[in-house]
Amino acid sequence: MSITNSQSSSSAPSSARAQVMKRSVQAAFDDPSDRGLGSGYQSKVRVVDRYKVIGFISSGTYGRVYKAVGRQGQPGEFAIKKFKPDKEGEQIQYTGISQSAVREMALCSELANLNVIRLVEIILEDKCIFMVFEYAEHDLLQIIHHHTQNPRCPIPATMVKSIMFQLLNGCQYLHANWILHRDLKPANIMVTSAGQVKIGDLGLARLFHKPLHSLYGGDKVVVTIWYRAPELLLGSRHYTPAIDMWAIGCIFAELLSLRPIFKGEEAKMDSKKTVPFQRNQMQKIVDIMGMPTKERWPYLTSMHEYSSLGMLQTPMMHHHSSHHQSHHGSSSKSSASTSHLEEWYYRTIGAHSGSSTLSPANGNSSGLASLGAEGYKLLAGLLEYDPEKRLTAQQALQHPFFTTGDKVSNNCFEGLKTTYPNRRVSQDDNDIRTSSLPGTKRSGLPDDSLARPAKRVKEA
Amino acid sequence: MAASFWESTQRRYWMFSKEELAQMREKLCDEDPKLVQMYPLPDWKYLYIYFNQQIVRLGKRLSVRQQIVATAQLYIKRFYCKVEIRRTNPYLVITTALYLACKMEEAPQHIRLVATEARSLWPDFLSLDTSRLGECEFFLISEMNSQLIIHQPYRTLATLQSDFYLTQDEINLSWSIINDHYVTDLPLLYPPHIVALTAILLSLVLRPNSMTGASAANNIAAAGAALAQAQAGRGGMGGSNSGQTTPGAAGATDKDKQQEARFGKVQRFAAFVAESQVDIEAMVDCTQEMISFYEVHEQYNDKATRDQINRFIKARGLDKA
Repeated sequence: MSITNSQSSSSAPSSARAQVMKRSVQAAFDDPSDRGLGSGYQSKVRVVDRYKVIGFISSGTYGRVYKAVGRQGQPGEFAIKKFKPDKEGEQIQYTGISQSAVREMALCSELANLNVIRLVEIILEDKCIFMVFEYAEHDLLQIIHHHTQNPRCPIPATMVKSIMFQLLNGCQYLHANWILHRDLKPANIMVTSAGQVKIGDLGLARLFHKPLHSLYGGDKVVVTIWYRAPELLLGSRHYTPAIDMWAIGCIFAELLSLRPIFKGEEAKMDSKKTVPFQRNQMQKIVDIMGMPTKERWPYLTSMHEYSSLGMLQTPMMHHHSSHHQSHHGSSSKSSASTSHLEEWYYRTIGAHSGSSTLSPANGNSSGLASLGAEGYKLLAGLLEYDPEKRLTAQQALQHPFFTTGDKVSNNCFEGLKTTYPNRRVSQDDNDIRTSSLPGTKRSGLPDDSLARPAKRVKEA
Repeated sequence: MAASFWESTQRRYWMFSKEELAQMREKLCDEDPKLVQMYPLPDWKYLYIYFNQQIVRLGKRLSVRQQIVATAQLYIKRFYCKVEIRRTNPYLVITTALYLACKMEEAPQHIRLVATEARSLWPDFLSLDTSRLGECEFFLISEMNSQLIIHQPYRTLATLQSDFYLTQDEINLSWSIINDHYVTDLPLLYPPHIVALTAILLSLVLRPNSMTGASAANNIAAAGAALAQAQAGRGGMGGSNSGQTTPGAAGATDKDKQQEARFGKVQRFAAFVAESQVDIEAMVDCTQEMISFYEVHEQYNDKATRDQINRFIKARGLDKA
């Protein structure tokens, strides 16, 4: 690899040409500042020498993601995550790499599992970090969204099953290696065009084996609000891999109903930087799961926010309880702690299968009803209040859900007639050096961003 | 992988034979023989002692835990396997390694604080400019191929201490021996569990304050004997060797119970090692390396080492670069 740079000269000669280039995505990789000085750090490998950028995928607080292909015969396509350095004034300076980037770099360098996104290489160049990943054409957010488009139709049962198995498999691998993901949500679950599910975005992930400090001490707030486990909402100081399992339960539910099961509103941090009780989110959970009790969850009373539970309203299944009378207990004598999850589950899979005559069916197994009772048991096992009783990834993988009914495929698109639209890749990239979009906005989706809560973490 | 040392990048990319290590260092010297000639430096084992002292000073200032210091020490070692030291400002590398290790071990410190504390320790060699630190971080991570997760012997020690009924004194001694091994090449040569087992063995045969003179030689003999016994036991031909390999046996029959208890522990340890798949050769070498490190430490000349390092930094303007 040559250290000398032939690239910066190309932007000099024709000003007209340079003008055109400026708007292009490639420009984001051509930062001409401080090249060729004798001293200072120089990357041995240059991103633009190794990759040709095709377009822009998404952006977040960390930086931006681009789609690229190899220039040196590397097969396949790539997603390049570019971490932007902080700015001090107008000049881009070395300010120290964020802890989240350091974690992601270190963890991804060690990981190797079919269901976890694969890191190809990391290039540190021009004060920026470029993490090169294998490219995944889809993600669960996009897939779920596609199914809500007209005509709204459920995700086929076989596909749900395959996605869940692969997701759990990737998660089991992470947990077996003492890694907590801490931000599982549909947008972070990638799906390749071959139907392989890949857990992505390990920016919040961390090792939990014998930590030097309690996990709470590091990041006060983890996991995007809708997927946040009750022990986190109740201010638990110590948490475990079970928080990822709750998130997977929420994702399972969302794959069934096509909308977040607990869609709360986030209470913002106040100026004193104290973490507020997420009352609205907790209420959403209680509405379906019932009030947690210390009988079901012995450590409940030692939770930091235990007393705040008193602020919540007793759950009501307001609209539906009369219509869909399910075969279990009568709603009249249900107490505050009664879970309505079973009701929710059968209503969800039933409603879909009932309306499937209206929507063009994908095949005979598209009816979610085929997920049956085992589907409910798996869901209930994942959405268990007590983190100690909640299913582990290992247990969930061995759940009868995966051995009854349709066989689990390791291609979630197997037998499917529908095709999903490719990830949208945009060509016009605002100059990365001057613009910065807040939050996680994805170019692939129409802007229904009121729906999706933004990024999640405050680093301590 | 993070949990399994065997699949980790540490085992796959950062363990070397002594020959490989020597070759890498030779290659760096060969790249610019003039530079090496112009600024002679003491042997690596002395440089490491100096670096260790410096990083411990900075670590104290920032009140960081020993495990973080250990991680930083290994970063420094890896870095200098790839980069000629005379092209760097070691004070900046030390500071950066610790700054990065803090983040990696989930106990981050603000870059400005780290820069300020480092500057107060080495005012003639560092500026307050945090961007220098940030730049050096890129250099460090890049040379390490972003492989930043370190497996340490401390964890093995914690797991095994109850198996061997170690007393608090023995645990403490094992712990400090592990600390000391970070001053040597051992973390680049042997996996952490070998180091931990060696440290435990040494803690069992060494007595506090017996690091000097003839008693040290006896201790090494005792450690060697225990390992030889283990090796013999594993081969299934323990019978023929066992007679000669128990120098403590005579002592166990008389005198204090402490001696007896210790002897029992050594026996238990030897039996454990014999039954396990542990590389005994490696433990023997590890023991010798540790003992010779303690000898080297006696001959270490702090001022000469410091002067030689500071000379090339100043002469080459590396404090300002």
